[in-house]
Amino acid sequence: MLETALALGVTPVAGAELRLFAKAAVEPAIPAGVADIGLRGGLSYEALYAAKPDLILSSPWYAAREAILARIAPVASYSIYEPGRPPYVPAEAATRALGERLGRRAEADALIAAAASEFEAGRARLARFATRPLLIINLGDPRHFRAFGDESMFVDAAKRLGLSSAWVARTAFGAFPTVGVEALAGMPDAFVVNVGPSPRDALDALGSSPLWRAMPQIANGRIVALDPVNAYGGIPAARRFARLLVEALSAHAEG
Amino acid sequence: MPKADGARSGVLPWVVWTALGALAAALAIGLVSARLGAGFEPASALDRALLLYGVGPRIATAILAGAALGLAGALMQAALDNPLAEPATLGVSAGAQLGLGLLAIAAPDIGGFAREGAAFLGGTAAVALVIALSWRRGLDPVTVVLCGMIVATIASGLSAALILANGDYLFALLIWGGGSLVQQGWGPAWAIGAALIAGSIGAALLARALGVLSAGEPGARSLGAPVAAIRTAALGVGVLLATTVAAEVGLIAFVGLAAPTLARLSGARSTRHVLLAAPATGAILLWLTDGAVQQFGTGDALPTGAATAFLGAPLLLWMLPRLRMADRPGASVRPGPRSSARLVALCAALALLVFAAALALGRGPDGWSIATGGDFLALLPFRLPRAVAAAAAGAMLAAAGVVLQRLTANPLASPEVLGVGAGAGVGLAVVLVTAGAASATLELAGAACGAMAALLLMLALATRSRLGPERLLLAGAAISALCLAAVNAVIAGGSAGAFALLGWISGSTSAVGPSEAIAGCLAAVVLIAALAPLRRWLDVLPLGEAVARGVGLELTAARAALTVIAALLTAVASLIAGPLSFVGLVAPHMAYAAGLTRPALHLAGAVALGAGLMVAADLLGRTVIYPYQLPLGLFASLIGGGYLVLALRAR
Repeated sequence: MLETALALGVTPVAGAELRLFAKAAVEPAIPAGVADIGLRGGLSYEALYAAKPDLILSSPWYAAREAILARIAPVASYSIYEPGRPPYVPAEAATRALGERLGRRAEADALIAAAASEFEAGRARLARFATRPLLIINLGDPRHFRAFGDESMFVDAAKRLGLSSAWVARTAFGAFPTVGVEALAGMPDAFVVNVGPSPRDALDALGSSPLWRAMPQIANGRIVALDPVNAYGGIPAARRFARLLVEALSAHAEG
Repeated sequence: MPKADGARSGVLPWVVWTALGALAAALAIGLVSARLGAGFEPASALDRALLLYGVGPRIATAILAGAALGLAGALMQAALDNPLAEPATLGVSAGAQLGLGLLAIAAPDIGGFAREGAAFLGGTAAVALVIALSWRRGLDPVTVVLCGMIVATIASGLSAALILANGDYLFALLIWGGGSLVQQGWGPAWAIGAALIAGSIGAALLARALGVLSAGEPGARSLGAPVAAIRTAALGVGVLLATTVAAEVGLIAFVGLAAPTLARLSGARSTRHVLLAAPATGAILLWLTDGAVQQFGTGDALPTGAATAFLGAPLLLWMLPRLRMADRPGASVRPGPRSSARLVALCAALALLVFAAALALGRGPDGWSIATGGDFLALLPFRLPRAVAAAAAGAMLAAAGVVLQRLTANPLASPEVLGVGAGAGVGLAVVLVTAGAASATLELAGAACGAMAALLLMLALATRSRLGPERLLLAGAAISALCLAAVNAVIAGGSAGAFALLGWISGSTSAVGPSEAIAGCLAAVVLIAALAPLRRWLDVLPLGEAVARGVGLELTAARAALTVIAALLTAVASLIAGPLSFVGLVAPHMAYAAGLTRPALHLAGAVALGAGLMVAADLLGRTVIYPYQLPLGLFASLIGGGYLVLALRAR
């Protein structure tokens, strides 16, 4: 919700996990005045109290903390990621609801419309990939990745770009059972998209390890590596992902 | 059971192990033939690559790693004359994990050998620390394991804190922690094989000397054997084996503990036989587990390293009543000069002082401050529940520690050993996985159910098979390992609930509200009060079975009652402070060493000290890296560990 609030032109007084956000989500850049209140799972209520917020944006994941947060300021909780549903439409709804709450209805509608038209434009540019299923992953170490499934923003965004997902197996919370390299052999037609952040040695293994190189996707160069994108973001993260994906794929020779 | 003894030393074990080995081989052949077409040729270039660089090395790694861990466990157990010794209890695995985590923070872009090297260095540093701490006492077994537990808890607390402080950036560390055997080349198999060869040579050279040691330390000394040197050498070889496995494939739970134990149960009597049989047992165990994981698992959702606990722990529990083990008198803590109620009052005053500091002291954007007036009142709703809950948890853990240490006459007994805290984690995991977003009440209910399940299992074991003190510890360790493996498997699955579980494992009070604090407080008062009428039992039980029977104590009933109370104390406390704090071990030690030796005073002093320790840990945890927070369990273990290190050095 941090990035959504920023996208609506509201600068929060404080946010959680700002250090990680700068590394793993990259954009939008967090303005200098925003106070860091620690980890999502271990918020510093004292830091939040010191920031004196008027409204606290949360999600049902942190339902257990709501009673405590409510002592500091009213809590508004928005649900985007839930088991069994793609997150893009809920993210649009959350954006509208937040726009309503902050008196920025017009900005919210504009954000949603801008994203929709970007997806439309991207769809046209990626038409030649329409028959090529994407396997969207995040490399964790040289041997494993997590695979994003239908409940993830990445797969939902890719589908909105007219693409399909190669990952059909069960996922937990939008993404990722821990998958070993050899799973790639089961989907020889897929185009692999790695979304950062990934450790250097994991990215190196793509080129150097005999097993990775034996995988049909890698052998045929059907892989792109994207810069980090927030895997649990809202509409702004979906836009960033779509932009990076369109850039990377349209620069790619395969089609 | 003399009849069973006769059968065990005969043909039966050979049949059982051959059958298990054949089953493992059959699973492996199934995996290989899936990639083979007609004429035993790989069906395609891709299948060839998978066979050569995936399936093949994985089989080799499973067998070699299992053998290496089995040998490591056998060496460590022989060196320490302690059936609980294995890489995990000596801090080796936790140290390796911390080394890897630190490298990931310091130089995230470094890969390859640096990662393996960091894990190796971390494991070696941990065991070196353990040896340095226990050197003065001639590497006495109890001291070594005590130090190992201190080092392991501190290291794993720090690792968990690193993961928390970096969100999901340390995804790789999570997988690694789960011990996955997925391979993409032969490197790990070669490395483990080389270590195994070196280790086997070392073990062959040491076997004779270790055999002499097993006859008893005084006897060995009188024969002129350099006891400390033999133990150090055997430990060193074991550590080399264990850290190599840890560095190459991650944490493989339980093989180091189960393999030598199962070898002995299968009839291996002498040290030499155990050293020979344990690697074979370990290899079959790990190979079979890995085959089963690939056969029945989906993807890597359950890492093999966690699955070994599901196989090994129940096996160990089932065989415990059949395990031959002397009920040795535990090594005693030397009490200070006997002292009185005045000392208890001092402990209580100290605890109150810390409590007051926890309410007033804080750190903000502008540095440290003492809250006064309106700010004090405004911050009180955040600080008071945490402080109260921490105090209650500390008091309960300390009380549970007093009960367990007296019940087992074993200074190593601490609440987490019961496995009840870990059981609470399984309950919590079930709630988080099935319900996703869960309310505090639901989390609490799940954790309580898990704790009760672990408790009932312990009780069934304790009463049905009349477990003596050491078996009870071993049973608790098995249940604890089983439960923590299950929790780790969920964490390694990487779901969103994983972060809540990581928080729980490291012991975070940030979610504690007034209702949890009040509930914790009530539980502490009721449960500790329930111990008061039982203090005579606590006095008599440490003196051994014979004495206890002699004064007419109904042993089974006394043990069962005390076990229930200790388990309940642990369950409630672990909901607040996680399973890994050291307070249940340290506070009773402190009180006893200060001279509070009579049960009532021991209990009162330990409760006050435990509460004070825990509150201090909470205060430091929320201020040291403000606005980020370190978990309560971590700081409690740092404070407690520091105390134990000093106490051991002083002796």
